[in-house]
Amino acid sequence: MILIGEDLNVMSKQISLAIKERNPEPIRKFVVGQTQNGMDYLDLNVGPLTKEPVETMQWLVKTVQGFTDLPLCLDTTNPVAMEAGLKTCKKKALINSASGTSESKEKMLPLAPKYSAGIVLSVINDAGLPSDADERAASILESLEFANELGVPNEDIWIDPVLLPVGVDQRQVSAYLEFIQMIPDLAPGAKSVCGLSNLSYGAPKELKVLLNRTFLVMIARYGQHSAIVSGFDEELIHINKGEIPEIVNLIHRAMNEDDMDISSLPQKEVEYVKTTQVLMGKTLYSHSWLEV
Amino acid sequence: MKYEAPLEKYPVNIREAVLGKGEKAIKIGGENTFPFHFFEGSLPDPPGLALEVLDIQPENWSHWVLEPFQDVVSEPVKWAKRCVDVFGAEILCLRLLSTDPMGKDASPKQAAVIAKKVADAIDVPLIVWGTGTEEKDSRVLTEVARLCSGKNLLLGPVLKGNYEEIAQIALEHGHAIVAQASMDVNLTKELNIALCKFFPPEKIVLDTTSSALGYGLEYTFSIIENVKQIGLINRDNMMQMPILADFGGECWRSKEAKESKEQGILWEAITGITFLLAGANLLILRHPDTLKLIKEMISEKK
Repeated sequence: MILIGEDLNVMSKQISLAIKERNPEPIRKFVVGQTQNGMDYLDLNVGPLTKEPVETMQWLVKTVQGFTDLPLCLDTTNPVAMEAGLKTCKKKALINSASGTSESKEKMLPLAPKYSAGIVLSVINDAGLPSDADERAASILESLEFANELGVPNEDIWIDPVLLPVGVDQRQVSAYLEFIQMIPDLAPGAKSVCGLSNLSYGAPKELKVLLNRTFLVMIARYGQHSAIVSGFDEELIHINKGEIPEIVNLIHRAMNEDDMDISSLPQKEVEYVKTTQVLMGKTLYSHSWLEV
Repeated sequence: MKYEAPLEKYPVNIREAVLGKGEKAIKIGGENTFPFHFFEGSLPDPPGLALEVLDIQPENWSHWVLEPFQDVVSEPVKWAKRCVDVFGAEILCLRLLSTDPMGKDASPKQAAVIAKKVADAIDVPLIVWGTGTEEKDSRVLTEVARLCSGKNLLLGPVLKGNYEEIAQIALEHGHAIVAQASMDVNLTKELNIALCKFFPPEKIVLDTTSSALGYGLEYTFSIIENVKQIGLINRDNMMQMPILADFGGECWRSKEAKESKEQGILWEAITGITFLLAGANLLILRHPDTLKLIKEMISEKK
């Protein structure tokens, strides 16, 4: 799976201060670290970027490009900042993100053909987030048609089915899994992407990585193309590279609902099985899902 | 060929909780199917129906609910006896409103003495309810548990912030508890997991908190229904406790209920029946006529 490193994010105080002070050093650490850890893209999450959008975005893109050769995923809700960033990118960039809302269709989507960029297209539309897989399909078909007419080919579209935290609504996680399996039929050639860490939002801090890693294996099996992930979760990166096949096999078996005697498994494997069962919607989530 | 409708079988039972002691003790739960699905499985225990009593004179109660108790509202023991002797209540719920830190702020000891008097005066099971204030309830309900030792009261609400203190003392003195998590199946399970580390699951009743008809009833319905489905279909043993619904206050606060006696009773009864259909095993009711009406409705159903 293609991994997009999420760690350059203005939600981090260190990053936000570095951008404000135009200080490249703190940024270098995150860029070089994620690059060395094998990320395929780097996400630059600058939020709405209301102050000096053009100048700030251009500075950031140039700074990051000074430290890495990786392609960038520009993550802002501000189309002005987005365009400034796209102009500055040396490699084919990814726009993160557009959706089926009228505003996004009008301001964000046209940037993709203009700069020959890829674009993340979420299933959200003017009615909000679709509640199940079928509604997601209806929404994305409508947006795809619009994007195709603007001249964006399916190959440049990265569909985001929108992943909600498992602790908020477990049924939405099931809807996600159902929907990604529909994508090849709905949109031949299109890619898929998600914000993986959102899955574990609100979960106990030390257990977040377990949810994220398990889900990465599950969605990879269902054909997911890429995910925005922490560029510093080494085990996740190893799993993605196929370096821990026993964990992948174990999760696949749990997904198949094979008869598994978990009492004979080591603790770590038990945790992966229990987590898979929660993410498959077989067991009700609670923050102490590993304790039962 | 004769058609036979396929029947769903669930290989598990909702736990059966026992409230009270002796001849008048009441069992709730125990079913291995969904509410009123008598054709499909077994529902050994009819829903428990409780009437409520306050430990202080009610404020802002609608005229229609005060009416049957007008002369006893300042005497909880008499009020309780009237519920049992005159209106045939098989379970009572004593609310210790006097202990509200924002109100009279009575001491745990004072409240426990009243609870003991009421418990001694009646032979039906007693639910004792705090004010939902975590810190105060943990002192009040533990004091009640000690003073009423061995009576197998149902103490609640037990919350995330005070379950350890209350459940520990409840266990030592032989009481059951109500675990309350508001409108959230995940948090309900979370609290149950925490409790079951030291407290017997068959002495736990769940409260997901309830809203009245017209004021969010459908949310309560979905949550109760969901808890039951997870218990029976997903066989989640942390979600197989009987469920309580407490909504009298919510119903009689509504402007519709206050308009007329008949409308108020129907408002409360429809809310209650709806929760029974969702899967509630124990209702706390405010008006004796509602109790009578629901009793009639479910006995015909059977």
